[in-house]
Amino acid sequence: MKIQKGKYRLENRNLHFDLIDDLDFKNNGSCFYFRGDNGFGKTSFLEKIIIPALGVENLHYLYIGQDIRTQLYTIKALLSVQGYKVSEMDEVELLKLWINHDRSARVFILDEFDKYFPDYQFIFDWSESFIQTYIIVTHRSHRPYDGIAQKYRVCRLRFELIEFDGRLKNVRVKKE
Amino acid sequence: MVLFKLGILFTLVLSFFWLFVFGPFYDHFAVQLAVFAAVIGWNSLRFSLRETISLLKFCLPFVLSLFVFGVIFHLTRLFGRQDWLQDTLIKCFVFPSSLIFLKILLTYITYLDILNLPISMRKRVGLITMKSAFQKGEKILRRFSWYLDTYSMLKSDGRIKSGLKKYACLIIALYLYLYEEIENSNRLLKNRYQHIYEVDQ
Repeated sequence: MKIQKGKYRLENRNLHFDLIDDLDFKNNGSCFYFRGDNGFGKTSFLEKIIIPALGVENLHYLYIGQDIRTQLYTIKALLSVQGYKVSEMDEVELLKLWINHDRSARVFILDEFDKYFPDYQFIFDWSESFIQTYIIVTHRSHRPYDGIAQKYRVCRLRFELIEFDGRLKNVRVKKE
Repeated sequence: MVLFKLGILFTLVLSFFWLFVFGPFYDHFAVQLAVFAAVIGWNSLRFSLRETISLLKFCLPFVLSLFVFGVIFHLTRLFGRQDWLQDTLIKCFVFPSSLIFLKILLTYITYLDILNLPISMRKRVGLITMKSAFQKGEKILRRFSWYLDTYSMLKSDGRIKSGLKKYACLIIALYLYLYEEIENSNRLLKNRYQHIYEVDQ
């Protein structure tokens, strides 16, 4: 799945993106790191541009949002409906079961997951056998885990504020 | 003053249910349609059109299942009745109208009203907790729905089955959320109250 370079406007979020490079998420073995300050639209870019595009292409994905505590209620509900007893499970066990249950996914999106789990190597251990592309939003500048760096082509994307008139933000998105 | 305000709200709720749900206007289809439109308009003005649409979406599966059962009962002439369809159509409007009406009226009860109630602090904490949890629950519903739409597990079945599964998940998630949220908020409020009380002493 490709997202062409160009201008993307999210009027209801007062964000205009200028994507400098094409992004190819179907290209096997890529790990994208999205970086940039708070409020520059990383999550909006994910939820309003990338995720709808994945849906259009019918490409299965796993998404762990920034508000993981909220999302966990839906994961618990989903697994309960599938017949699992989730009442005794902790967060990590829930995530593991959910990820293992959705092995048709090819893209894994993590939005500031390191805020809750600073060391999240376990996510890759559980999913690298079927995931082709990782998209990771982070504020940290840590280097990728060794396994990831060896197996996946790492691509860093920077969100930079170009203009802000008090309401509308013009954000440039480009590869580092 | 607060008792007077709550008295008016309580009277309005009783009047609504007496007139339109159990009383004289229940089987007047035109009246029910007008009440439904009025309640929808009121909710849109008090909150937003978007919020109203999401509330109607939430009611939709219940209304649809009500309608389907009504049609089945009508076709099978259950208990020899021939008015199942008409009765079901009325219920399809009465259910969302009364739910939205109740919801709107409850939002007129503020935290200050609860604090001014002549009841024990323990009961006030309970009421404040309930109000806060349900307010949050209402907002969180849209986010839950959004997350559930991202799960491919829910898309693997047919459209109707997937839709029903999604609504089942939505209700379970909301229940879990409210349960935990009520417990946490209650603990937090009690703790703060206890702390302030002890400091005052």
